[in-house]
Amino acid sequence: MIKRNQPVLLKRITKMKQATDVTEYRKYDGFSGLLNAIEMEKAAILDELDLAHLRGRGGAAFPLGKKWRHLYSSKSDTKYIVCNADEGEPGTFKDKALLEHDPLSVIEGMVIAGYLFSAKAGYIYMRGEYRRIQKIFQEALDNAEQAGFLGENILGIPGFDYKITIISGAGAYVCGENSALLNSIEGKTGRPRVKPPHLADVGLYLQPTLVNNVESFAGIPVILREGGQAYRDLGTEDGGGTKLICLSGHIKNRGLYEVNLGTPLQEILYSEEYGGGSSTGRTLKFIHFGGQSGPIGALRNLDDCIYSYEGLWDKDLSIGSGAIVVMDEQVSIVDYLVNVAAFFAHESCGKCTPCRLGTTRILELLTKFNTQTAVAGDLERLEKMLMHVTNLSACGLGQSVANPMKSGLAYFPEEFEAGIQKVAAPVKGGLW
Amino acid sequence: MNSLSLSEKEAIILANDSDPQRILNILIAIQYDSEEGYIDEETAKLVAERLHLSQARVYEILSFYAILKTEPQAKYVLKICNSTPCLYTGGGMLSEMLETILEVPADEPTPDGLFMYHSIPCIGACDQGPVIKIKDTVFGDLTEAKVYQLIDDLQNGCYQEL
Ligand code: SF4
Ligand code: FES
Repeated sequence: MIKRNQPVLLKRITKMKQATDVTEYRKYDGFSGLLNAIEMEKAAILDELDLAHLRGRGGAAFPLGKKWRHLYSSKSDTKYIVCNADEGEPGTFKDKALLEHDPLSVIEGMVIAGYLFSAKAGYIYMRGEYRRIQKIFQEALDNAEQAGFLGENILGIPGFDYKITIISGAGAYVCGENSALLNSIEGKTGRPRVKPPHLADVGLYLQPTLVNNVESFAGIPVILREGGQAYRDLGTEDGGGTKLICLSGHIKNRGLYEVNLGTPLQEILYSEEYGGGSSTGRTLKFIHFGGQSGPIGALRNLDDCIYSYEGLWDKDLSIGSGAIVVMDEQVSIVDYLVNVAAFFAHESCGKCTPCRLGTTRILELLTKFNTQTAVAGDLERLEKMLMHVTNLSACGLGQSVANPMKSGLAYFPEEFEAGIQKVAAPVKGGLW
Repeated sequence: MNSLSLSEKEAIILANDSDPQRILNILIAIQYDSEEGYIDEETAKLVAERLHLSQARVYEILSFYAILKTEPQAKYVLKICNSTPCLYTGGGMLSEMLETILEVPADEPTPDGLFMYHSIPCIGACDQGPVIKIKDTVFGDLTEAKVYQLIDDLQNGCYQEL
């Protein structure tokens, strides 16, 4: 039985001594999700996933059941399973914890997918910054294979052959975008593809491909072990399960936590069990949710906010990757956004002009506000630029650059206005 | 020049099954194992040949991915996270500090070839900001005193594995 307010995904992490050891993993319910799955009709597996209402944990929050159903219905003998472990969202370090301390749970989720889709090959694309963890993960793969959970005739089932390969990233944020990631696996530069076609139809090597995040895969064994309904009950109406959250910034207890979807945000920020309040002694001012491309919320509006998909949507926010970056009142929103913009200008892959040039223009404009050298009309120019970059960019990176900027503008307009020169700038320095 | 011998490089390629899908694994492993910390022309050619890829493809990859370098690096490259969670918890001071201590601008090796520093985006250690990463090792919760200590320790060869 799984209960609310107890770790589900992180439950083994504190207990296991050797994260890659299959025997120990099995002692804590490991592989029982897979063992259940192979006893079930494949259609019934899909039903459980739908019931569980797990939303993709990489950031897009698309219902996982629907995605899996789409791939299931596509007619092809070759299908690929890909785990997106290119965690590069600033403020996010949750996948790292699973990959390092409970790799077999991610593997189990991927094997269940391999079974369901009769896939022969799975890939995990792990960011180059996690090189040390790649070694740990490889050890877990080797151990799983030795124990008969990977390789040929898995669990004695003839024809159940499935292998997982680790592909390293090499420092490109854009590779977190699923189609860019597939290009990178194919040994090319990681620039996004034009979509449609959907990756479930035309993915890796043009074959139907499933791409899910690390945390999503780790949730699959829980669903098949405990049942879809039990999993759903851990969360709320619009999303089942628990969520890994990463607290950082000006918060006392920075770190990784697992919460039930539906936990009050105030509890996450201020209770000693989680954030413990401000680390600087100053009042907290705003929160950047879900990574650099996520929206920003002003704390003064978040007293009654519930941390769940619908709870955040109600406030024009979103869960995204699970990052919760908290800033205190000393941080100027404009200064903060300049740094966010610099990140995007740096990470734009350059394939489309609106994103390549637009991110640079946004950075320049924000810098003007920050140095109080903006002029009348700049605010309108900024807003127009944000709209263009959102609408004309080809991939999620460009399309979401405006999220933090727009919410910053909406909640703290006075800070932007203060950056507009109303009088000629005084001459600085001495007489010369 | 690359300090790895041909057979060492070949061993890395073979350990990755000469698999073009794993070109990044291969390039990173060679770069990290070599003292100069970059992929020189000869190595790029070798990888292209063994993976049956064009040299242009390999160069495209070398220029696209931030971790891969085509110029010699210092022995210790100090990578400072400059993404917002780290930047606003003390990370802002690190570049200036290193410039003062090492007396070189970002991306330029110190005259003795020992140090170099530059900023990089988030490395997934945001709960320990400010952080500096050297190869696979993260130094977190840095203070001014700790940075001085780190430079000292590196100078005195305290971190053999780096
Ligand atoms: S939107 Fe930006 S990151 Fe995405 S493909 Fe276009 S240029 Fe590249
Ligand atoms: S923001 Fe610095 S490590 Fe993540």
